[in-house]
Amino acid sequence: MEPRKVPVRVVDSDVHPVPRPGVIAQYVPEPIRSRYLLSHPRGETIFYDAPDYAHAKAMRVDAFTPDGGFPGSDPALAFRQLIVEAGSDIGILEPGGRGHHIPEVTSAYKHAMNVWQDKDWLDPVNNWHERWRGSICAAVEDPQGAAREIEEWAGHPYMAQVLINAEPRPAWGDPKYDPVWAAAVRHNLPVSCHLGRGLHEQLPMPPVGFPSSNHDFMVSYSLLAANQIMSMVFDGLFERFPTLKIVLVEHAFSWILPLMWRLDAVHRARKSDIPEIRRKPSEYIKDHVKFTTQPLDYPEDKLELTRAFEWMEADKILLFSSDYPHWTFDDPRWLVKHLPEGMRDAVMHLNGIETYATVPTHVTALDGKAFVY
Amino acid sequence: MSRVIDASVHVFFGGNDDMRAHLREPYRSRGIPDYEKDWYGAPGGEYVPWARVPGTYPGSDPELAGRQLLEERGVDLAILHPMTRGLLPDRHLASAVAAAHNEMLVRRWLEHETYGERFRGTVRVVPDDIEGALKELARWKDHPRVVQVGVPMQSHVLYGKPQFWPLWEAAAEAGLPVAVHVEAGSGVEHAPTPSGPPRTFAQYYSFMALNYVYHLLNMIAEGVFETYPNLKVVFADGGGDMVTPFIWRMDTFGRPHLEQTPWAPRMPSDYLAGHVYFVNGKVDGPPADGPGGQDMASEWLRMTGKEDMVMFGSSYPHWDTADPAELPSAWTPEQRDKVLSGNAAKLYSLES
Amino acid sequence: MALPQGREHVVCTEDEIPPGTHKVFPIGRHGVGVYNVNGAFYAIANYCPHEGGPLCSGRVRGRSVVSEDAPGGASVVREGEFVYCPWHQWGFELATGTTAVKPEWSIRTYPVRVIDRKIVVTA
Repeated sequence: MEPRKVPVRVVDSDVHPVPRPGVIAQYVPEPIRSRYLLSHPRGETIFYDAPDYAHAKAMRVDAFTPDGGFPGSDPALAFRQLIVEAGSDIGILEPGGRGHHIPEVTSAYKHAMNVWQDKDWLDPVNNWHERWRGSICAAVEDPQGAAREIEEWAGHPYMAQVLINAEPRPAWGDPKYDPVWAAAVRHNLPVSCHLGRGLHEQLPMPPVGFPSSNHDFMVSYSLLAANQIMSMVFDGLFERFPTLKIVLVEHAFSWILPLMWRLDAVHRARKSDIPEIRRKPSEYIKDHVKFTTQPLDYPEDKLELTRAFEWMEADKILLFSSDYPHWTFDDPRWLVKHLPEGMRDAVMHLNGIETYATVPTHVTALDGKAFVY
Repeated sequence: MSRVIDASVHVFFGGNDDMRAHLREPYRSRGIPDYEKDWYGAPGGEYVPWARVPGTYPGSDPELAGRQLLEERGVDLAILHPMTRGLLPDRHLASAVAAAHNEMLVRRWLEHETYGERFRGTVRVVPDDIEGALKELARWKDHPRVVQVGVPMQSHVLYGKPQFWPLWEAAAEAGLPVAVHVEAGSGVEHAPTPSGPPRTFAQYYSFMALNYVYHLLNMIAEGVFETYPNLKVVFADGGGDMVTPFIWRMDTFGRPHLEQTPWAPRMPSDYLAGHVYFVNGKVDGPPADGPGGQDMASEWLRMTGKEDMVMFGSSYPHWDTADPAELPSAWTPEQRDKVLSGNAAKLYSLES
Repeated sequence: MALPQGREHVVCTEDEIPPGTHKVFPIGRHGVGVYNVNGAFYAIANYCPHEGGPLCSGRVRGRSVVSEDAPGGASVVREGEFVYCPWHQWGFELATGTTAVKPEWSIRTYPVRVIDRKIVVTA
């Protein structure tokens, strides 16, 4: 008998799996493994620590595994907490992981993350329910290596997108990255851009000084994404790649409304400098860039948020995300209530189905799964 | 007709000879960068053509500026910001350059025979040289037409950090707002964006002013407004629209971080009113044909209390010189009055 | 002696929840946590009003205050009087169910009494 299929109602654009200790090393090729990954011990590298970090490790405390394993390290627990209990139908996995200042080394680490996803999360045992989709991790700072990685994994039945970090310099509009976008559009894959939080050039390097605490650090991180958008628009990325789709993950989004105004005004005033930028920045943004809903920032007066949603045409540009299992997790049942009713289908699943590769419109029903909306 | 207070007019020396005449040795013989930005200059020129009169540097002649602004463009009162020469590594030299600009500002502009009574001044100080800054502030704070103290947007250290507190304390005690303004010239400032140098002027200009967000969030997290309840800060390059989404985010993350920053015990948005102000410039506010249209401009201005924070500023004589005619027509008359003069009159005690 | 009123649950004996500990009981949709704070008992819903997190899985701590003589300029007072949600670390005072920064953000609390050394929660 055919298993019962139900429509996908929630595409969760940001889920963080974590490899168990020692697993990734197996997949990093030599000589990089011995020379860089295993060359010396590495301890905790946190600064800008989330609240109660020593105990919570910037995670939902209830997401540690029963035997003390790190949140996100057990596909079965993640399935139970996110898919069954919170109600996400499809989870787009976005591994974090180490970076290195030598681009080819980062490429090797990213490759290992892709092999690991394939074997430990997207395999028939751990993905028996077919709810997980993976990301082709790529080191954008090694454009040729990233393009090779994309070529290798494109066409995988469960890889939904390319995933890069937000910090590498220069910003995305620089032509040196073109091989990465070319590979992505060749395979019709969106490119998601997630925070990396490393050292030096892998930190946003605020132009006017370092924030003092995780509070001002996290909130000001959105300016990095704002700057990437400026570069993508004014450096003509969307003119060179008219089918490119970009997703900015976990950078918040309500700032895009005044940013669109600002960029449109600057474009009008400076058109003669940049005649090749033919369209208004807000048009490029609406056609090419999407944002995840988490973390949802909201004023005390929720009506202001509703109005902002309307003005920015949020149903065109938002994708629901939870950020499970991080401490900043947004439950889909909570989030959906903040969306204007007419926008819910677009944000919660239609945009996700349209944006990502391999995401279906229907999935096999699961007993006891939470109802979201 | 409503009163217009122009909260941002830029003042320059006539040229390097003019500046050096106001410097004493050993600074007179030092190497000092020009106002022009090498990497990030505006293509086509930094200033509006109609302020570029042969024989004068734009913004250096109070006679010309007074005529153009106060007579021809309907401005009743102008708040002047001296433009200085970059974030200089030698803070002593930077202080000497700032002092020269202040001296020129007061004697040539604030005490101008015809227009002086309609000019008000910002005295520039150098945050890297707190001792020098306090002395300079003490020197000018009681001048009847000095209304503000100015610091550059560019910095290596965010303005919430304690090394700057003696300066904020002195400004607050003197009843002078602190204006943060993008510095002209070039020096040892970091690259203007978090991803390094931008390729286009459009990106430079779009991003540079937003660096205030880093300063503002840091001042909130460090409890500066808690410690100095009378401190007022003016972010003088625009970008006030961005305060709404960023304070939403700061509030949303505020509650979890209270335990890390007990010196800032209130919700971040509680620290805005009466402390934070913005100059409203040419690229601020929803454009008529932008996302959301412009009918909502009035509603938007009310959000986060912006209508009490924002002050019209032309940025004369820069290429983006703004005009009150370009302000959103959807603003209510009350909002328009506040932005055009009410907020500045209150902030700088200019009630007529 | 007044008899217990309303929907009352005798959850356990007094000495089953020593000071500084808590237990969660299956009352209502999400459960109720009973806390012993320095000998006083408080009962709260195991549900954070923010996004519905399991409040009673969170750590019980004090709160930070400015403390000029302490290294780092801060110290923690009122240890054990606050519970912090294990999701977003929102803190609530167990005795009142609210916080100083915004009293209107509150958690659901229930009356607790000790009768004959038994803990009785009205929920």
